[in-house]
Amino acid sequence: MDFYRDHYDVIVIGGALAGLSSALMLADKGLDVLVLERHNLPGGVSTSFVRGGIEIEAALHEMMSIGPRDARLKVGKFFDDMGVDIDWLKVPECYHASLPDLEVTLHPGFKTFAGEIESAVPGTYGKVMKLLELCHTVFDSVNELSVHPMSKVQMLLKHEAFVKTAGYSTKEVLDTFDLPQKALDLLAPYWIYVGSGFEELPFTIYAVLMADYVGYGSYIPRHFSHEMSLKMAERAEAMGVQIEYRQQVEKILVKDKKAYGVRTKRGDEIHSDYVICSAYPNKVYTSMIEPASEVPAAAFKMVNGRRLSLSAFSVILILDRPAEELNIRDYSIFRGDTMDTDVLYRDLAGLGPYRYLTCICHNYANPEATPPGTCSFSVTVLPQADAWKSVTADRYDEVKHRIARQVISDMSAYFGTDLLEHVLEAVIETPMTIARYTGAWNGCIYGYAHTMDDHIVARLQTAEEEKFIERLEFSGAHQISGDGMGPAVTNGRKAAKNVLDDIRKRKEAAAK
Amino acid sequence: MKVKGFLKDVGGASRVTKARLAAFARADSGPVTSDPIAEVAAAWHPGRLTLRVAQIRRASKTAKTVRFVRADGGELPYFYAGQFIALEFPLGDTVISRPYSISSAPYEARTPKGYVEITVRRSRGDGFMADYINDTLREGDTVTGTLGCGQFYFEPLRDSRRIVALAGGTGITPFASMAKEIAHGTLDVDLTVLFGSVSSDDIILKEELEACAGPHVRIVHVLSGEEPGWTGERGFLSAELIRKYSPDGASYFICGPQAMYTFLRGELKKLEVPARRVRFEVFGTPKDISRFEGFPQEEKEAVHRLTVVRGIREDVIPARASESLAVALERAGIRIETACRSGECGLCRTKVLSGRVFVCPEGDGRRAADKEFGYVHACSAYPVSDVKIKIPIL
Repeated sequence: MDFYRDHYDVIVIGGALAGLSSALMLADKGLDVLVLERHNLPGGVSTSFVRGGIEIEAALHEMMSIGPRDARLKVGKFFDDMGVDIDWLKVPECYHASLPDLEVTLHPGFKTFAGEIESAVPGTYGKVMKLLELCHTVFDSVNELSVHPMSKVQMLLKHEAFVKTAGYSTKEVLDTFDLPQKALDLLAPYWIYVGSGFEELPFTIYAVLMADYVGYGSYIPRHFSHEMSLKMAERAEAMGVQIEYRQQVEKILVKDKKAYGVRTKRGDEIHSDYVICSAYPNKVYTSMIEPASEVPAAAFKMVNGRRLSLSAFSVILILDRPAEELNIRDYSIFRGDTMDTDVLYRDLAGLGPYRYLTCICHNYANPEATPPGTCSFSVTVLPQADAWKSVTADRYDEVKHRIARQVISDMSAYFGTDLLEHVLEAVIETPMTIARYTGAWNGCIYGYAHTMDDHIVARLQTAEEEKFIERLEFSGAHQISGDGMGPAVTNGRKAAKNVLDDIRKRKEAAAK
Repeated sequence: MKVKGFLKDVGGASRVTKARLAAFARADSGPVTSDPIAEVAAAWHPGRLTLRVAQIRRASKTAKTVRFVRADGGELPYFYAGQFIALEFPLGDTVISRPYSISSAPYEARTPKGYVEITVRRSRGDGFMADYINDTLREGDTVTGTLGCGQFYFEPLRDSRRIVALAGGTGITPFASMAKEIAHGTLDVDLTVLFGSVSSDDIILKEELEACAGPHVRIVHVLSGEEPGWTGERGFLSAELIRKYSPDGASYFICGPQAMYTFLRGELKKLEVPARRVRFEVFGTPKDISRFEGFPQEEKEAVHRLTVVRGIREDVIPARASESLAVALERAGIRIETACRSGECGLCRTKVLSGRVFVCPEGDGRRAADKEFGYVHACSAYPVSDVKIKIPIL
């Protein structure tokens, strides 16, 4: 074989954030790693593209778990440790919440955040602070327990709040705080993206996200998420990782329940000790394992027993005026006629009109995001993966334009500016766009929904039993830490750690 | 710390684990393969297709229209009127890729014997592929192609429904596609085409365009050559002429030779057309890269060593400074995917590992981080020293 070595320690399928995080960590430990990426650049949805000479962010709203240079959080520290030097820009606010009777901009920092809610809904400061502190306690526990597992008794002693809230939905825990509806409305908007309403969303997830996001704020790379993806890829290559683009893996080769390599669409068969796969388990078990007889029924039951989370629909506009002139005044605006996450979640099962819109204007974090005199403005909704399954190829263009027009008209009405009179470039991204570029199962970007019957605590408890094929690890939004770009990095590191642990165990066993 | 009661609280972890396992127990034990989202994505963007030349016919004295169908009899992808097809022609030991605007309408691809067409004029001796298509290509030949490519189409969020097309020569092809789609009733815009040709006996796609004329399509021929008896418009597509035929608030779509773009930029400026109302189709790489500022003139005639890394393999090939990296690769029989051949689309994104390249400043569609790490688009980057690049294994 001309293009590949005879054997690699690890083959990583997919060169997006998760796969590249795996590759970095494994290369750091001296392993021979090959990354195979189907597209012609790294990053998956963490990328950018150029239209009419203007670079446009494809997906990133904000990265959590980064933190300032002198006090990095988990993901920021990983990048630093790996020598991936990203030019992070701080996002100025958490969000501007816009409801029919409420307009509030909330900034990071628990006291600031609670104080701003207090100004809008007097008498809530103490309760909101208590809630945020509970969130932070759970966040600390999750971070520690993901590195240092311990017995249940120890856990109850040292991580009481985490243990005692683990069995409850977000709604059940929030109810105990007895907050007025308006305050709840301000605490709700962001979290619809994790893929469930509050009746179903584990409080553990809400707590972790809230503590991270409100406590520490968020960041974006100066040159869009492509800067992050590319710097990871470049660093991995400098550490000896071989990355090959335009290589679609069609089969994972398995013998006696053990993965031993892959075959690409081009026809190259490449062998390795381990395979780390970013493709969804649904796709892997239904069409990628060769021979198919190596897939046990339990694997199908596992993927069929889980609900796919959300996909994304975005309209991205480059406008021919500075943001202020168009009355766009915030980095992120969450606008809805309700903030009842369960109602909104049901809304996302359809094809619109969508009533809850997430808007981003990158110029407020990065004034140079677009050329002088222009700005970028995007509106995103996160439909359930199933919602778009009824859209056939012949209706696709009509449906995407109908929804795009609705969300842009709604925001035009809100700003009192006809945005359509200022469009230099317009791009519509749909679940189909995601499927086209990344191959993600059903165009889903967020893995499996976090629900009370697919709880992160349960995922951790049963992780070992869900390994149906040895030496095959999964990484990506569909893994334990779930969705979002920060968790993708964490998922990738976890897959690499599993490989390293397995190698160590085998060495120890061999030594005996 | 209490949510509902000690026992219920501490039993939470076991409870959610049981719930999860119960959900698995209830689930189907066979493969569920349905992915309709991927099917729609593939119907629009199936990737490279094998196409058969079904018909070649004359489009003017000097141009031919080539009709392609899918070699496997399958359906052609959806595309927008105005987009192009990136065709790959197998020639000897190599494959040459070129973009051509699709001159047939999207609806024609959806009929039972669906097809796409391109219309290509014979060159004046400097267009290798144009002459190949006019003189050598035969009905029954197969090529591969990727469609629909490019951004040169009516986007309702961006463009006015009143479109003025400014076309020169074969630059008429994307507008032929639009005109047919409008006449068919499947594209809801008003199109005025100002079509510059040299002489009335060599107007490309003349009959087909005129067959589309109607309430929503207007064709205005403008001849640049002297021609006794011609009663239509004469000269160039000047500001005055454009103003005469423009409805209020029009979007201008421009496709034609490079010299026309420079001229029209000035004319549209006179008319104070806002930037968002002007769309230029990409026009390919310049014939002479050395005329650009910054190109080292002493390199004009130079031939360098180009080391091509694919995986762990390295090949060394010659590369002329006056030709793009993509051309050097194609000459050497090394496949590279290209689409727009104008530096814009980025399909031929290539890492420069060492050496110097000159990137054509017009149509440089690279991302900022890519520039920082030495990535170029091979179709618009010229080697001005010995160079080492890494490209995908194809």
